[in-house]
Amino acid sequence: MRKKIVAAMLASMMVVSLAACGGGDDGSGSTGGDTKKEETTGTDEKKDDAADDAVAATDDENTLTVWCWDPNFNIYAINKAAEIYAKDHEGFNVKVTEIQSDDIETKLTTAMSAGDLSTLPDIFLMQDNSFQKYATNYPDIFVDLTDKGIDYTQFSEAKVAYSTLDGKNYGVPFDNGAAISCYRTDMLEQAGYTVDDFTDITWDDFMEKAKVVKEKTGQPLLTQQAGSTDIIMMMIQSVGASCFTEDGKANIVDNEAVKKAVEIYSQMVKDGTLLEVTDWDQYVASINNGTVAGVINGCWIMATVTAQEDQSGKWAVTNMPKMEGVGEASNYSNNGGSSWAVTSNCKKPDVAVDFLKSTFGGSTELYDDLIAKGALATWAPAGDSDVYNQEVPFFSNDKVYAKIVDFATKTPSNVTGPFYYDARDAIGVALSQITQQGIDIGTALQEAQDTVDFTMGG
Amino acid sequence: MSGPNKKGMSLEKKHNVTGWVFLIPATALICWMSFYPMIKAFIMSMQTGIGINLTFGGAANYLRILKDPTFKQCLFNTFFYLIIQVPVMLVLALALASMLNNKHLRFKGLFRTAIFLPCATSLVSYAMIFRSMFANDGFINTVLRGFGMNPIMWFANAWTARAVIIIALIWRWTGYNMVFYLSGLQNIEYSVYEAAKIDGASPVQSFFKITVPLLKPTILLTTIMSTNGTLQLFDESLNLTNGGPGKSTMTLSHYIYNTSFVQSPNFGYAAAMSIIVLIMVAILAVIQMKVGDER
Repeated sequence: MRKKIVAAMLASMMVVSLAACGGGDDGSGSTGGDTKKEETTGTDEKKDDAADDAVAATDDENTLTVWCWDPNFNIYAINKAAEIYAKDHEGFNVKVTEIQSDDIETKLTTAMSAGDLSTLPDIFLMQDNSFQKYATNYPDIFVDLTDKGIDYTQFSEAKVAYSTLDGKNYGVPFDNGAAISCYRTDMLEQAGYTVDDFTDITWDDFMEKAKVVKEKTGQPLLTQQAGSTDIIMMMIQSVGASCFTEDGKANIVDNEAVKKAVEIYSQMVKDGTLLEVTDWDQYVASINNGTVAGVINGCWIMATVTAQEDQSGKWAVTNMPKMEGVGEASNYSNNGGSSWAVTSNCKKPDVAVDFLKSTFGGSTELYDDLIAKGALATWAPAGDSDVYNQEVPFFSNDKVYAKIVDFATKTPSNVTGPFYYDARDAIGVALSQITQQGIDIGTALQEAQDTVDFTMGG
Repeated sequence: MSGPNKKGMSLEKKHNVTGWVFLIPATALICWMSFYPMIKAFIMSMQTGIGINLTFGGAANYLRILKDPTFKQCLFNTFFYLIIQVPVMLVLALALASMLNNKHLRFKGLFRTAIFLPCATSLVSYAMIFRSMFANDGFINTVLRGFGMNPIMWFANAWTARAVIIIALIWRWTGYNMVFYLSGLQNIEYSVYEAAKIDGASPVQSFFKITVPLLKPTILLTTIMSTNGTLQLFDESLNLTNGGPGKSTMTLSHYIYNTSFVQSPNFGYAAAMSIIVLIMVAILAVIQMKVGDER
């Protein structure tokens, strides 16, 4: 009998190791005890290695450590910024670790839960949409950047709002996620349209034209990862609405903007004018392979569109359709974008702040260089630079950068709050219930509302 | 104090002490690495709040579980995998093992390796490969089209998505369990089968009358391990379907992970759910041992 008890305890041990890691580290699942354990250790080891590689803040006066994630984009940007800063500051350099944004977030959560911030770097980059969540839950991570000499009036208000909590600035705005629509002009032409027919239009108009395009060319006009809410969220922000009320309560089921956005989306799926794909790779493929005639997303999607060089001259950029009848309809919105933050583990916050101030918050030279990478400044003076008025051959010599900067300044601001992603996920679930399982919009949104209320009630 | 002939301890006692000394390092490690975190996790499960703003909430998190529709959905998914996948996999593993145990089979080593090989792949990479195979324009649909059938949107429908996870699990773990059965079969005298054959038993009869009863301890072991593993299923749910469509393929571990690291972090609630999973595994293991072990 004792043997049995011991056996039972051993059998359940693995679950506990899961519970022990603060409720589910990557306790890899499986169907066979022991190998599974090995696997877990395997991945854990890998993770630990990565953690060792992820350089924490140093004592070296001239070196700042940075975490960010895209070698072609933000890593390039921070290195370039360091180069520029080093011109006036002999010997200055940055040590960058490439870590995916959600891994950075996991690391922050883990460090805070353990009460040990010594693993954090001097500076890290954070998605704008996550900023409120971390600033609210873990304010101790951040160095307050208010009144540290950074002129926030030179950034667009909506952008600064992401990294501001209770009147305190916790971040230095970096890239811009202004929503753009990219269309295949050759396909529009077949349907008898030009890109002007899709500029400054309403969604109703857009849906009708999309049907014509579908009929004439056989191609859907839009693509989206199933269950992803990018388009919905852009629509909601375009009328200045949000999934939350001003006082932070979830506002989904009685929210006309959400309802209207979901209606438009599900109708387009029904019409066959919006293609739903299963993952990001297929999303990219649907754009590059000409499976669809257009895409709406943050302006960083241009990097994906332009990757297909043989399609040069076949694409055009314009603003997104506007959603009429709810709130103040505009053709402008935002998806993505990120801001720099300084951690409280930084031993020399003055250097870090001065570095960010004089580069991302004060160097036209930096932004002029970054434009080639598709990094559009949210720092207003950069938009005046000549570089932004250059013609881009890929888009038939259109001045797309200037266009996007213009879009960005017109983007309405909305409430995000710490539960932004919870709301976003819940709406994503509702969306797949509606489009894939045929549940009616009211029921699905009510469920989303309940889910978010439940999470917030914890 | 003890001379060469005077015994401070009896021989038996000495053996006992030696035994305990050998046990101490392992015991200490288990206590430190497993039981201590277990207790900590239990304490954490009594705390409520988001992030690090935790306060003592008593059984609040456990009551919360009862009201959580997502938890129920994930519980259903997990048990669905358990009920379908574990029996299918174990029967398949047993069948393969007894086939490979045939003395007259050639290239036995090759077959064994081939069937065991999936276990050597990383959970994440095999999940991603399955995802691309079952993608809308992936390998499986290409084959289906080749046979003139309609392609299936595997990940767009809850049931087909669950089916993909089960297929993936069976592929990954059958060989692993087969190895246990093979080693169990090695311990069964071949002469028993020969005697049965002489007595006129068909292969089916000798399988059910000899192999299954004699393999019972191994079958019990694999059942418990598989049950345990399936209840903690995580990688496939995260990497293969990401819980979708909606939350219809999400497992409990995946939900626990999301609660801690994806949503606004609620560690207390996540810990409470982990404890529930622990209790379920323990109960199931006890039941299986009661049913399976007649000693």
